Amino acid sequence: MGDKGENAGGCTMNNNGNQNQDELILAQQRQIEKEISESVPLVGDLEPVTSLDKEYSTDNVYLEKVKDLASKYKHIRRTRPDGNCFFRAFSYANIERLLESQNEFNEFYQVAESSKAILVDLGFPQFTVEDFYDTYMEVLKRLRDIDNKEDAKRELHTIFNEQGYSDYMVVYLRLLTSGQLQKDQDFYSCFIEGDRTITDFCHQEVEPMYKESDHIHIMAACAAINAGVRVVYMDRGTGKNCTEHDIPEGRTPTVHLLYRPGHYDILYPR
Amino acid sequence: MSLENKYNLKSPGVKRLMREAFELASPTEEFHACPLDDNLFEWHFTVRGPPSTEFDGGCYHGRILLPSQYPMQPPNIILLTPNGRFEVNKKICLSISGHHPESWQPSWSIRTALLALIAFMPTPAAGTIGSLDYTPEERQHLAKKSKTWECQICGRIADKLAWAGSDGSGHKLTEEETSLIKQIALKAEEDANKSEARPTTSNEQPSEDLEDGNIEIRQRITITAAHSSVSTSLPNTDALLTASINRSNKDQLWTAVIWIIISIIILLVIRRIFLL
Repeated sequence: MGDKGENAGGCTMNNNGNQNQDELILAQQRQIEKEISESVPLVGDLEPVTSLDKEYSTDNVYLEKVKDLASKYKHIRRTRPDGNCFFRAFSYANIERLLESQNEFNEFYQVAESSKAILVDLGFPQFTVEDFYDTYMEVLKRLRDIDNKEDAKRELHTIFNEQGYSDYMVVYLRLLTSGQLQKDQDFYSCFIEGDRTITDFCHQEVEPMYKESDHIHIMAACAAINAGVRVVYMDRGTGKNCTEHDIPEGRTPTVHLLYRPGHYDILYPR
Repeated sequence: MSLENKYNLKSPGVKRLMREAFELASPTEEFHACPLDDNLFEWHFTVRGPPSTEFDGGCYHGRILLPSQYPMQPPNIILLTPNGRFEVNKKICLSISGHHPESWQPSWSIRTALLALIAFMPTPAAGTIGSLDYTPEERQHLAKKSKTWECQICGRIADKLAWAGSDGSGHKLTEEETSLIKQIALKAEEDANKSEARPTTSNEQPSEDLEDGNIEIRQRITITAAHSSVSTSLPNTDALLTASINRSNKDQLWTAVIWIIISIIILLVIRRIFLL
């Protein structure tokens, strides 16, 4: 995790020659991002977990881990690796699950309704928060009003693949996460390296789009929308099994995400 | 408005711009901005030079280019009126001081951008690309001249702003906005230049002799501006200082190592010569 975090940390102190280098890297990064955005959907269709094999056909460490993963999870839903993948995947998977239970969805809806006031109280600019909030609620309302579960899920999928709406959902979750971090500063501040304040951190690492997520983002996002997530780590580390982390610890996860260095996808348990 | 038929009103980005256009429709004393008749993604704006600075009395006009991904990506600002602080006809964008344009936040808006622009004007140019380091006299001269400046599309820009006493009080700065604006820096797109932290050369002390006591908001902006010049230059100096201290520590270490090696070589050479 944290790779992006170091990156950003490095940028703050850059001066002189390094800056030029940074700009070049940024330009290249933008180019790559553009290529990615043209080839990968924001949120993909359900695919069997075993489809991961194709990516690692020559890599035994990974193939073993895919086998382990396939024993626990049936499907995977890929997301576009644009730095927003955690927020997009988490938001999507959470709403998708809530669509299964009308009660839980309504509860979630009510909490969401009151969230704008909380953000404005915390000092977020009312005018723009309102803009994101309105779209967020519009989406939730649209989904709530669809009686058939499967139709609602299809609608969710369509919405999350429309760049405008999808990004608005991401922004609002970023704002909620930032709000959570600022509300519980005392607790979260010990997770921040260096001498940045929580507010700085939120302005630099949480609220801007395309900024990747770290453990701290996930903790705060879970607390903000009252959900538990299991992150399954798959990397070249030793062992045949993927490591699992439940956030917050001890809570039964409702959303399952696959983490491969730098990227999150959605997982569906067997 | 004909715009409404032209754009996909369902797109949140378009809705957002419509909303902003509505919010900013009536000019304030400090700024005015509205989209072009035929293009929601290009706006023209006029800002008033912050009072008690060398931009006092000036009116500056410019364009705002909004990317199709707005508000996910930052607007670009292009100044058209010569002002002595920013180059004209050059894209400048906003970021949190000391950070890349990537630190733009979707929760900022065109209003934020313009307020930040006004607050940023009196800060030292410090050699940043797109910045100009004119003398206060030259800037004052340009400020005077700007009053008669005309935009081909919008006409005389001095008429675009509300005047003191007219009802422009609906747009007071909130505390959050004030602190937000302080963090924002503007710079031109390519950023290859050295950013040396120079001492403030401009004479922008907020003097108490504002002729109009009732222009509270303008005063506040002045203060913000003065603050932001301090807060933008201070962290810079700090960072540069620590960096240069680190560097000089490292340099000292290396010099010591090199000297030790040289003296060992000299010793060996001397031994070689004298023992033979």
